[in-house]
Amino acid sequence: MKRRSFPGGTHPPQHKSATADTPSEICPLPPELVIPLAQHVGAPAVACVNAGQRVGRGQVVGKPNGFVSVPVHASTSGLVVAVESRPHPCGAELPAVILQPDGDDVWAEEYLTQSFHVLTTETMLERIREAGVVGMGGAAFPTHVKLDPPHGKTIDTAIVNAVECEPWVTADRRVLLEQRDKVLTGLEVLQKISGARQMWIGLEDNQTDVAALLAPHCKQRGVGIAIMPAKYPQGAERQIIYAITGRRVPTRGLPMDVGVLVQNVGTVAALTDAVTRARPLIERMVTISGPDVARPRNLRVRIGTPVAHLLKHCGLREEAAKVLLGGPMMGTAQHTLAVPVLRGTSGVLAFRRQDITAPAVGSCLRCGRCVAACPMHLLPTFIADYARRDALDLAERFAARNCIECGSCSFVCPAGIPLVQSIRYAKGAILARRRST
Amino acid sequence: MLAAVISLGSLGCFAAILLAMAARRFAVKVDPRQAALLDVLAGANCGACGYPGCSAYARALVAGTARPDLCRPGGPETLARIATILDIEVAPGEPQIAVVRCRGDRQQSRAKYDYQGLEDCRAAQKLAFGPKTCPGGCLGLGSCVQHCPFGALSINEQGLAEVDRDRCTGCGLCVSVCPRQVLALAPAGSHIHVQCNSPDAGRKVKNYCHVGCIGCRLCIKTAPECFVMEGFLAKVNYGHQKPTAMADAMERCPHHCIQDLAEPGEAAPHSPSVEERTS
Amino acid sequence: MIHLLLILVGAVLVNNFVLARFLGLCPFLGVSKKVETALGMGMAVTFVMVVASACTWLLQYLVLTPFDLEYLQTIAFILVIATLVQMVEMIVRKSSPVLYQSLGIFLPLITTNCAVLGLAVLNIQQGYSFVESLVFAFGAAAGFTLALVLYAGLRERLTLCPVPDAFRGTSIELITAGLLALAFMGFAGLVPG
Repeated sequence: MKRRSFPGGTHPPQHKSATADTPSEICPLPPELVIPLAQHVGAPAVACVNAGQRVGRGQVVGKPNGFVSVPVHASTSGLVVAVESRPHPCGAELPAVILQPDGDDVWAEEYLTQSFHVLTTETMLERIREAGVVGMGGAAFPTHVKLDPPHGKTIDTAIVNAVECEPWVTADRRVLLEQRDKVLTGLEVLQKISGARQMWIGLEDNQTDVAALLAPHCKQRGVGIAIMPAKYPQGAERQIIYAITGRRVPTRGLPMDVGVLVQNVGTVAALTDAVTRARPLIERMVTISGPDVARPRNLRVRIGTPVAHLLKHCGLREEAAKVLLGGPMMGTAQHTLAVPVLRGTSGVLAFRRQDITAPAVGSCLRCGRCVAACPMHLLPTFIADYARRDALDLAERFAARNCIECGSCSFVCPAGIPLVQSIRYAKGAILARRRST
Repeated sequence: MLAAVISLGSLGCFAAILLAMAARRFAVKVDPRQAALLDVLAGANCGACGYPGCSAYARALVAGTARPDLCRPGGPETLARIATILDIEVAPGEPQIAVVRCRGDRQQSRAKYDYQGLEDCRAAQKLAFGPKTCPGGCLGLGSCVQHCPFGALSINEQGLAEVDRDRCTGCGLCVSVCPRQVLALAPAGSHIHVQCNSPDAGRKVKNYCHVGCIGCRLCIKTAPECFVMEGFLAKVNYGHQKPTAMADAMERCPHHCIQDLAEPGEAAPHSPSVEERTS
Repeated sequence: MIHLLLILVGAVLVNNFVLARFLGLCPFLGVSKKVETALGMGMAVTFVMVVASACTWLLQYLVLTPFDLEYLQTIAFILVIATLVQMVEMIVRKSSPVLYQSLGIFLPLITTNCAVLGLAVLNIQQGYSFVESLVFAFGAAAGFTLALVLYAGLRERLTLCPVPDAFRGTSIELITAGLLALAFMGFAGLVPG
């Protein structure tokens, strides 16, 4: 067991005990599922069903559009009510397939269990794509693209990312505990496809109980367990790669440039279903938590379940003042509870009015805490200042584009300056300017 | 004394000859019009012409790659002078002014969510397309105020941008900064404007704003040709204005979004806020 | 060799032209809004100072001293420096428009710069040899550039600072320049003598 970390980072309060040791439950089907066609990085899927059509569980309702795209499936059997624009967690209204469950929940076709050992890499990649597997840590990047590096790039190390550095969220922990066999099979699939010689499972040191449970199985398969100090953002791709392998991903590069592949635990479990049973990704583990949730827990949620349904199931103490999808550090606040759970949604957090006191913004004290906390070695205070003055050239010179938007700087700032918000704006403006010229 | 005069004189002559020769040998032709143009331009270096500073614009003018009417702060006078220097003929365009096309303040229009974060409209627009339900309404976080080089913009108490007609030069920087294009340029001579920017249909607009254009076309019926419809939004046809008919249309506009900006002080009749009415 | 190095270090740090001798304050305050322009100005000054010190040294020891005209030193040096700068400007403008764009606009500013004249006079006063005077000129120019770039960097940061209204603009800039000069006082005594 290794114990390494990365420079910088912060220690936000964990709040994980609320859900960490509560077994997950199956979330009952909502009266209506909203299945957006854009659930992944890349081109959105194209709807291939019409209103009034009956679909089976797991049936394709949206066809992929291009290589960096995956199909979208019906999460249960039922009636397609409409194909129309609905609120999407990104803030816009985007096309979605609206499905009314019929309650039977029957699969569209029979799926056979098959050992992955007899399958070729091509077949496995094809199945992964057909199943619509995307990165379930939040970025939702199509997994088949990640597993199929362009010619000349080889993967020698594969890392399973079980570092849940976001407070409150415990979905990955529950997946590891409850779907251990799936994860372990997925590891083997991952190794076979990528050809990685070294395999690691990365965990934070507050998950030693999980590590102890996994240890014998991992030893048997030659998989290393890397225990890292609980520090935010330990689970960010570049940070976990540095902590485990000591390699630095180039500024504009990808993990594959240094021969590393990182996959979220949930994704690895989904790989097993996709490859050995050819079953699509229609369900995921979601942490429903936050100070406003009466019965916080992890739920196994069908993709497309509206957030309102989840919160109703777990109960709210009072009307939520703020609801986040994802963790509290990087999650996005929602303005309506009609938004559905996507393949990349790891948590739904609800906060009361008194939990979200926004600090009064003061002046920069030059204390340098943001600089010390930045895991990317940037100078957040300067970039934010330049961004506020629209000095985009200077912001770019100070490498604003390297920011991973982890929010550590804003979190530690004693003056409550919205640093990451400014930097994010600068990043967008720099990109927009680049595109226009 | 004599030695000093002679030696310094000869040194001076030597230097003069050297410089004269160098000047001839290394002569570079520069268009004298460029310097003249630089004097004529407004000199604010505001960048509204799209060039980095007045001198860059002057160079582009001499090179013939730029249109002569781009110096907005300078207005028609500058245009005329540029035309004289470049010896070209231009029709003097009418001076322009920025108009805020929104009256949906905190009282009148509904908020989509409570915004906390960077005090900048463009940053707010990134979060679910802005904290106002109306997709075209003024967010009132003041990006335009920050960028106005002439101090002509302000955010009023009700959270709406306001233009100081005396200070606005019509440079259009605010128009390009505003993420929702609430600000638009209009002829400075016109007073009556449609102060709404919502592209939505009337039923939707009524739902979130008391002073939004609902596309009822009453203004067009009252003053034909003075107004045009763009989708569900009425706009003033600035090329074709009839003051009396337009004043009539202003009276009849059910949501009071047609306003005479030359006569401030006449506040819109108070109506209960959206929240009060719908809850 | 050590001797030349001492002259160089002394000119760059200890007796910095701007911050210890207070020469060339005009461009120091005028052309220090941005680091890029400050660097351009520094390059221009370096070039002019080295060439000017060579010319004035030759003028002093080949013309003025042999003919007992030392009392004409100041005016003769000004004449030579001005001519030189003008010529350099013309040549650069013709031969390299790109260089002229970045450097040329600063050249007229240096024409009557006290730092250049001061350097020429100091060369003679210190009794430097030709090589020594060239080294001294380069050191002085490098010191000028250093001070200018440092100050420009400070001013760039200064624009981002919440400065009390009364100190806005020139006043805070002069205070900053004073603090920078104080910092350079720390080099005093680095070179003995």
